[in-house]
Amino acid sequence: MSEPQIEPEIMRISWGPQHPMSGQTRILIDVDGEVVHRLIADLGFTHRGIEKILENRTLLQGLIPIERMAMVDTANIGLGYVLAVEEALGIEPPERANWIRSMICEICRINSHLYAFGLQVESTGYFPAVFLWTTVDREVLLDLMERLTGARWSYNFIIPGGVMNDLPEGFQDKVREAVNYLRGRFRQYWEAMVENAVFEMRCVGVAVLRKEDAIRLGATGPVLRGSGVDMDVRKDEPYAAYGDLDFKVITEQDGDAMARLKVRFHEIEQSLNIIEQVANEIPGGPVRVKIPLFPRPKPGEFLSRVETARGELGIHMFTDGGMNPYRVKINSPSLRNMYVFERLAELNRILVADIPVVINSIDPWYLDCDR
Amino acid sequence: MRGEAEMILSTYSWIVALAIIHQLIATSFGSIFDVLDIISKMILEAPSLLMKSVLFNLKPLTQIIVIPGLAFILLFAIIVVWFERKFLARAMLRVGPYYCGGRSGVLQLIADFLKLFLKEIVIPQDAHMALFVSMPVILPTIPALAITLIPFDLDWVLFRAGGLSLPMFFAIAGFSPLIPVFAGWAANNKYTIIGSLRTAFLYISAEIPLVICASAVAIMAGSFDLVRIVEAQSTIWFAIPQFIGFIIFFLGLIIEAERTPFDIPTAEVELVLGWRTEFSGILFGFTMMAEYVSFLAWALLFITLYLGGYNGPNIFGLPLYSHIFWMLFKLAVLVPIVILIRGVFPRLRMDQLLRLGWYYLMPLSILNLSLRWP
Repeated sequence: MSEPQIEPEIMRISWGPQHPMSGQTRILIDVDGEVVHRLIADLGFTHRGIEKILENRTLLQGLIPIERMAMVDTANIGLGYVLAVEEALGIEPPERANWIRSMICEICRINSHLYAFGLQVESTGYFPAVFLWTTVDREVLLDLMERLTGARWSYNFIIPGGVMNDLPEGFQDKVREAVNYLRGRFRQYWEAMVENAVFEMRCVGVAVLRKEDAIRLGATGPVLRGSGVDMDVRKDEPYAAYGDLDFKVITEQDGDAMARLKVRFHEIEQSLNIIEQVANEIPGGPVRVKIPLFPRPKPGEFLSRVETARGELGIHMFTDGGMNPYRVKINSPSLRNMYVFERLAELNRILVADIPVVINSIDPWYLDCDR
Repeated sequence: MRGEAEMILSTYSWIVALAIIHQLIATSFGSIFDVLDIISKMILEAPSLLMKSVLFNLKPLTQIIVIPGLAFILLFAIIVVWFERKFLARAMLRVGPYYCGGRSGVLQLIADFLKLFLKEIVIPQDAHMALFVSMPVILPTIPALAITLIPFDLDWVLFRAGGLSLPMFFAIAGFSPLIPVFAGWAANNKYTIIGSLRTAFLYISAEIPLVICASAVAIMAGSFDLVRIVEAQSTIWFAIPQFIGFIIFFLGLIIEAERTPFDIPTAEVELVLGWRTEFSGILFGFTMMAEYVSFLAWALLFITLYLGGYNGPNIFGLPLYSHIFWMLFKLAVLVPIVILIRGVFPRLRMDQLLRLGWYYLMPLSILNLSLRWP
């Protein structure tokens, strides 16, 4: 360090929860002028005790609170819980249900990524044009999900033993229409974001997370893949129908805010491919197996891993033979990435103006962090 | 007794010393003091000017009240805010204000103004009361004062400063960054202090290239008089021979008006609202109005220096009307372009702006100056 060894006059700014860009959290920032010295994430403003609530619900009732963890990514989290429950009950869903599950999960992933890069673009000071474009385009997917499940958010459609219902008539055509529409729109996003000179200046080289740091700090999801680590639970331990589907794991080598954005961008393209494959090649058959209304799981420990939009979600469920689980531990991807966020100020030179870009490139969902 | 005598003596010697220093500076930098004299005369003579105009003729009164005076400035602020909302809403797949005043939403601004006017003014406990209340009120008057120097016709200038009008514009506009700095300090909040420091940096990096570009125009026209600069453009606009200066001045205009991508002092996603964070009610309204008045002042200067000012074909019978029309027409073309930039670009970071100002705009403006040297 060539800076003079004088004790700098540090000012601590409280960033949120009353702030236009902070979300439901508070970040304490130690700044010297415009340079950030330290970031402290003060989480817990939205703690709802979901883990404790799950102990007081039967296995099927537990699906409702756990899907509230991240509303924008609800099916992926619900699927994580359902996989653990299915393991505890020892049941296997039919193949058609697995394909429908994959499709719903990918729609949720697109939803979530669209929201994430809408926010990242807005956080660079873009007058919220792109954010509103993403909101309008998410409407297409929400309409699709409303047609399938009857709900726009929090579907509770993936249940132990399969999915709630079969696809409605003509649904595959609607899916193909939506996929074509979104593919057309993404060219515009690419021009508005990645090819925009000022946006590039704000994102390239900001908050670089190198490969070894990303592994050491336990990053996950697009943050990890943006640093060049090829890891995706969908490929490594295929669940649902991902073993039969054809898709690539996206990685970027740069590790900066732009790399994370590009990972999300290309993952949306892959998700669109998956959705199209499901619409074209879905096998026939039943969509659910009968399970009792109050199932009794066998005692033991059950673990499930799924790749949500923000990274790997782990559900660790302990049962003691009663109707309710004894304990459910949720390993949330957002919380893991928040640890990375706190360290980024030590690894890089971050300015005050970069903080919204950095936090939205990490893309935490605070309800998910606090559970 | 002795103490008093000493005090008087020392005061006297101080006055003599100051007078000598003043004389020395005045001889070397005479023009600066002339500018300050004229500004003070403007402020002092305004009431008598008003009286004279009421008593003797209506022309200055029209200039003060209609154009380029109060009504023009206020109407510009109102129309541009409305237009910006509707125009940018199209870029965002929205419809903009929709309910007040029909589909066009024209009455929304009046509703907003009434809301701001009737809201309680909250003054933080630790704020410097006098500065906090006075600064937003002073702020819009500074660019409004600069607008009085802009010619709308050969003899339709509210304040005729002759060969000093271009330096005076910069002298007056040079005061405007002081007000946010004081206001941010007075509010005594961490966000406002960071915002006010950013304001100071922003203006320093923008104003020097602007002055250099303007002096290149003055060299080409052979005068600092804005009227003569406009008259010199009757054959060809200076935008064509001074293309580099034209681009630099356009960027500088956006920087000076604190608009995206250079609205760094009020960066909403970073600093809540920068130095404006603590203002509420009508004080906030004044700060927002000041942004648009300053935008107007710099846009008018830009038109005067590079886009031929009031020159244009005579379409009405009287040259005065067509001159004012062409001025407003050029403004109406320029404003949407500046507004559209807000819908297309993100905000630069402070260090990137300083790099732009000192590494690119400054050398390019000096290059522009030397290219046109006779």
